[in-house]
Amino acid sequence: MTPLELERIDGVPVAHVSEDVDAANAVTAERQLADGLGPDASSLVVDLSDTRYLDSAGIDMLLRLSDRLADRRAKLILVIPDSSQLKRLVSIVGLDKAIAIHPTLAQALRRAAAPPGAAEAVGDTPTPGRPTTPGRGAPLHSTE
Amino acid sequence: MTQRAAPEPYADEQRAGGQSTLVSSVSQSRRSHLLSITDSALGYMSLEDMLSELLERIRSALEVDTAAVLLLDEDRGVLLARAARGLEEEVRQGVQVPLARGFAGRVAAEARPIVIEDLDHAEVVNPILRQKGIRSMLGVPIHVERRVIGVMHIGTFVPRSFDEDDVTLLQLAADRAAHAIDNARISEQRAVTEIMQRTLLPDALPEIPGLRFSAKYLPAGSGIKVGGDWYDVVQLTNGRVAFVIGDVVGRGVLAASVMAEIRTALRAYMALGHEPAQLVTMLNELLVSMGRSRGATLCILELDPEAEELEAVTAGHLPPLLVEPDGEALLLEQAHGLPVGVRTGHDYQAFRHPFPTGSRLLLYTDGLIERRGESIDDGFQRLTVAAQAAARGTDSSFADRVYRALIDETPLPDDIALLSIESVALEDQLEMTLAARPNVLGGLRNTLGRWLRAAGAGESELFDVTLSASEAATNAIEHAYGAREATFTVRCERHGQDVTVAVSDDGRWRTARHQRGGRGLHIMRSLLDSVTVESDRPGTVVTMTKRLTGQ
Repeated sequence: MTPLELERIDGVPVAHVSEDVDAANAVTAERQLADGLGPDASSLVVDLSDTRYLDSAGIDMLLRLSDRLADRRAKLILVIPDSSQLKRLVSIVGLDKAIAIHPTLAQALRRAAAPPGAAEAVGDTPTPGRPTTPGRGAPLHSTE
Repeated sequence: MTQRAAPEPYADEQRAGGQSTLVSSVSQSRRSHLLSITDSALGYMSLEDMLSELLERIRSALEVDTAAVLLLDEDRGVLLARAARGLEEEVRQGVQVPLARGFAGRVAAEARPIVIEDLDHAEVVNPILRQKGIRSMLGVPIHVERRVIGVMHIGTFVPRSFDEDDVTLLQLAADRAAHAIDNARISEQRAVTEIMQRTLLPDALPEIPGLRFSAKYLPAGSGIKVGGDWYDVVQLTNGRVAFVIGDVVGRGVLAASVMAEIRTALRAYMALGHEPAQLVTMLNELLVSMGRSRGATLCILELDPEAEELEAVTAGHLPPLLVEPDGEALLLEQAHGLPVGVRTGHDYQAFRHPFPTGSRLLLYTDGLIERRGESIDDGFQRLTVAAQAAARGTDSSFADRVYRALIDETPLPDDIALLSIESVALEDQLEMTLAARPNVLGGLRNTLGRWLRAAGAGESELFDVTLSASEAATNAIEHAYGAREATFTVRCERHGQDVTVAVSDDGRWRTARHQRGGRGLHIMRSLLDSVTVESDRPGTVVTMTKRLTGQ
């Protein structure tokens, strides 16, 4: 599988990561993801729905990526489904306290469309053309 | 042989009249000349020595001053001086004569003997002939299987009329040379092709617990019908293993060079993480765009050992043969694509098939099953029977047993490549020594995942133990950073419900230097029942345990 697939949904750059992220590919993945932001976008959604393993090298990478995006006034938003094993991992290491994580892509996109600081209100403005996804009341872990 | 210092007028009484008089003494000497040219001892010389000696014998037999051989370079349409007597400058200066032009060019183009009685009144391309003062010439074509491959010519410094006997004798010498040139070309091509084949096939097959690989490549027995069949095995960083088998149309150096291009392209695309159908689609476009006139058939197969599943794409190639754990054999032919390099825009489809423990798979080229005068179905039938019998044997590798059951004739009429993959049960104890490089992590997680599944681990337990082992391995790898031959060892044991995984290296846990080292340890301690780190000279052992409950 191609490790990284980039697309834009309603103008928001979305990167689908389908491979494990570890010490073998973290540096390359970080560069590809950072490039995926493009010149104008204010957020990057990294979809980890099909990612099976993400080890400490992958977690370091996401933290660095988040910092890099912040330097460009953009935010990093992760998609990790509730059923994913990664869900437990990110809470063990506290990644969910540093980066916004949503269980579905639709929720992540709504978060991306929301104005800065409006994290709690995103559920009220469904993205046009995208189905509203149940579970919008899921807690948002954002440090903003 | 000494070179003649200057043209010396050839004054032989027998030639004075310009006609050969067939008195018996001449006939006698002709016979001995004939023998000198057909002498079998010439066959044991190198081509260079043989041509040189042959030309010297012709010079003496036909009583001429010069003798030369030019060979045709078909790609450029020119004749190149290859050997000469009395005309050594021709070779030294690398004389080239365009086909159909000049004396030698006409002999080659018209494929018949040509006589020039007086050089002053003839078109000659090669200036050396005039400079040397040659007056009369006779040239004959050198043929291999009705194809002109060169020209042999003789010349005299005094005017001479060559007769039928001269032509016959020179043609005999040319035929003798043709044979030697052709043999030398064949063995040269074969040698080059065999070296290319050897360099292009993997030196060793990967060692992965629970999998057995075996491969064979056998070149065709004689001539240049060698080259173009190949196989490859690549451990992908995602834990899957890719297998390739293929056959480039044609044989010889050109086929082997196309095979090298294909092998390199596939390895590059694999490194970028493309899946099998994409690999073949991209390869096809590449070959078509490069204008390669030679197509190739191939089969690419990726095995996920943990998922016990394979994904295959065939491009005009014979279908892989699967022997299932119960001994049933079947050809995997769910999807067929065209050979690669033939038509642009072809969309290749992959198919998946289960590959549970106890399965055996065989990839092969047509030389293994095709027999003259036999239908391909008979070939498949024999292969099926042979593979089923081979699956029950234990005396050598699976590929070898299949090969020996099918092939008894030597020399082989065609190249044969075959590659087998067997999935065997993992033991309760598992030990792996891996190179201290990050690209082994995917394979480690895959093998460990398979072992944990067999031990009855649930999805969550599988994740916890595998990720933790991967963390410990990452630390061992980072410690060895820079050391080229460094390795680390992973030992897995199972006692009832409890699994223990120990990762050992020869360095220290890098908690202090690496924040990640600390985070890794935190992850492991959160996911497992116990984690101990023994850092002692000369190395570090991280021992992890977890009780499996099937969650």
